[in-house]
Amino acid sequence: MSTDSVVDAIIVGSGPSAVNAAYPLVEAGLTVRMLDVGNRDSKYAGLIPDGQFSELRRTDPDQHRYFLGDELEGIGFGHTGAGAQLTPPRQYVCKDTERLQPIASESFFPLQSLAEGGLGGAWGAGSPPFSAADLAGFPIALEDLQPHYEVVADRIGVSGTRDDLMPFLGPTFALQPPVEVDSNGEGILRRYATQRGVLNKAGMFLGHPRIAMLSREHRGRLANRYWDMDFWSDAGKSVYRPKWTLDELKTFASFSIVSRRLVRSFEERDDGEVVVTAANVDGSGTELHRARSLVLAAGTLGSTRIVLRSMGHVDRRVPIVCNPHSYAALLNLNTLGQGVRDERHSMAQFCLVHAPDGHTRPFTVGHFYSYRSLLLFRLIRDTPLPVRESLTIMRHLSPSLGALILQHRDTPSPTKYCSLGAGEDAPLEIEYSLSASEQRRIDDVEAEITRGLRRLRCIKLKTMRPGHAASVHYAGTLPMSATDVELTTSRDGRLHRTKRVYVADGSVFPSLPSKGLTFTMMANADRIGCHVRSTLRA
Amino acid sequence: MVATSRHRTEPIAASHDAAVLHREAVWFARYLVDAVPSDALIERYVRADARVLQDAPTARDEAVLAFVHRHPWSVGLLDAGTAFMRGAPLLRKKLVVMMAVLEATPDHIAVTAPVEDAGMARLVWRLGRAGAKAAVKLVVGSALCALVVRR
Repeated sequence: MSTDSVVDAIIVGSGPSAVNAAYPLVEAGLTVRMLDVGNRDSKYAGLIPDGQFSELRRTDPDQHRYFLGDELEGIGFGHTGAGAQLTPPRQYVCKDTERLQPIASESFFPLQSLAEGGLGGAWGAGSPPFSAADLAGFPIALEDLQPHYEVVADRIGVSGTRDDLMPFLGPTFALQPPVEVDSNGEGILRRYATQRGVLNKAGMFLGHPRIAMLSREHRGRLANRYWDMDFWSDAGKSVYRPKWTLDELKTFASFSIVSRRLVRSFEERDDGEVVVTAANVDGSGTELHRARSLVLAAGTLGSTRIVLRSMGHVDRRVPIVCNPHSYAALLNLNTLGQGVRDERHSMAQFCLVHAPDGHTRPFTVGHFYSYRSLLLFRLIRDTPLPVRESLTIMRHLSPSLGALILQHRDTPSPTKYCSLGAGEDAPLEIEYSLSASEQRRIDDVEAEITRGLRRLRCIKLKTMRPGHAASVHYAGTLPMSATDVELTTSRDGRLHRTKRVYVADGSVFPSLPSKGLTFTMMANADRIGCHVRSTLRA
Repeated sequence: MVATSRHRTEPIAASHDAAVLHREAVWFARYLVDAVPSDALIERYVRADARVLQDAPTARDEAVLAFVHRHPWSVGLLDAGTAFMRGAPLLRKKLVVMMAVLEATPDHIAVTAPVEDAGMARLVWRLGRAGAKAAVKLVVGSALCALVVRR
């Protein structure tokens, strides 16, 4: 595509925020050009046959290629931080980032993406909307987001139901029926039903998670087939990936995408145009793209880099927040030794909320995953027993093993910030540490949840804290602010001190509640896209 | 023995010599699943060892692996003896690599796949037996490991 033509909007990135910000613009017939590096999985997608995880393990002689990886990248030691959970077919999402998006930090090792679809190519599909309590401190209210939650829930396909978690997750109407819970999760939910009174009194609630996974056919995508291959393949497109929306966008004549481009900076000109400088990652040159407005959705760290570089803020500190993250390895005594159904999906089986002060005060959310769709050597690696006996033990316990993944809320503080040094390829420098009181609050919450889990007949075997940045939820660098302050954004996502530059990803969230932000990020991107559409039409 | 003479000139643990790794693959598979692996699996182990285990081995790793190469019967005991050691001993890493290779094939699925309907009585018996074996191996293995490392 000619870079000479001026388009209505340039969208930077192709991840969850980018495609959902683009959608309302493209749908309205406005010309949109997406600039993105767009790395793809060129190796594994075609290798993985259709079929049940257990069946493939029994029959496919080539399974080592995707379970372990052609370069054996699926066998690793010592790495438990961000990205450690990526299976070989998902590792393309972080390809080239060390080279093209360097980070300098001794405490924060984030996962970034230059892939088509961004980090959404490997996300867990958890889609809990923010509640009114979650949005405390935001200059927008739940009413501002609610219509966009509905639009995005329909666009991406979110399954769930209205159960005990409704006060915490909200009444999204565009939900598909919930996906089926596996035997392991079912055992715990059955126990919860008998202990509901006591647990609710202690502030603990369980229910179906909201997941961007189809239980019914929708927009050309298939309902989940319960093959338990969701960590490995995108069979039937049941789990939402941003590239499904990108495929839809590509069918519109007014949409174009220019791949292999890394956006470096932007400049607003007096003639009303925004000029974007992009480098060709396969060559050495840069090129200019012009538009009437610019939407940055390159991921929190990517967009922050572009803004700091464009506005000449060398070594200027901006805040950063990230959900502190822990895994509790659980043994579910409710199903120990019992037969289990082979048909299951691999994502969260249930959602747990710890809300001792009710739904109007901050609460903690966790998601339970069964340990079924991964090989046992990962467990054996971390078991302090001889490998042979570990194998025997894990073969018998693994059907009743699971992990409760907790995301704790995070707010800005002077010990959490990032800055960009001088120079074209300067790394983003990040400092991040929790205060003693923040760590104490996390410890207290986890201790209370552990007590509740015991009542559910779940024994905690181990807690793993994979380090800062491991939640892969980064936000708060260019927070929405009601006042016109430099390096913040308006409630409509416009970068303050600019006229036509918008930010539509996690950068604009002033803080993070104890929930995955991706669904809200998509809803907010749709909201910002609608606002840009209005301004362009005006 | 070839392995012993090699140890004098080149540390075995650091070696990615295919012949040495071939022998390891066979010993480790026998220990883990009581079976001799196919040539394809041996080849995969050799490749995985070279790609995954690139850190320089410690003196302790060298001593333990050299002993295993001289006395393959000791794999299980030294595995147990090093299970509690800090810093993930090389022998254990190699065994986990072999475990991964053995799991990602239909060849040994009967002894590597999860057991999903054992029933409570059988489960308790099997776990108890595995626990007891592990305990005995830990005691004997720790003593052997101490001797091997001190030599």
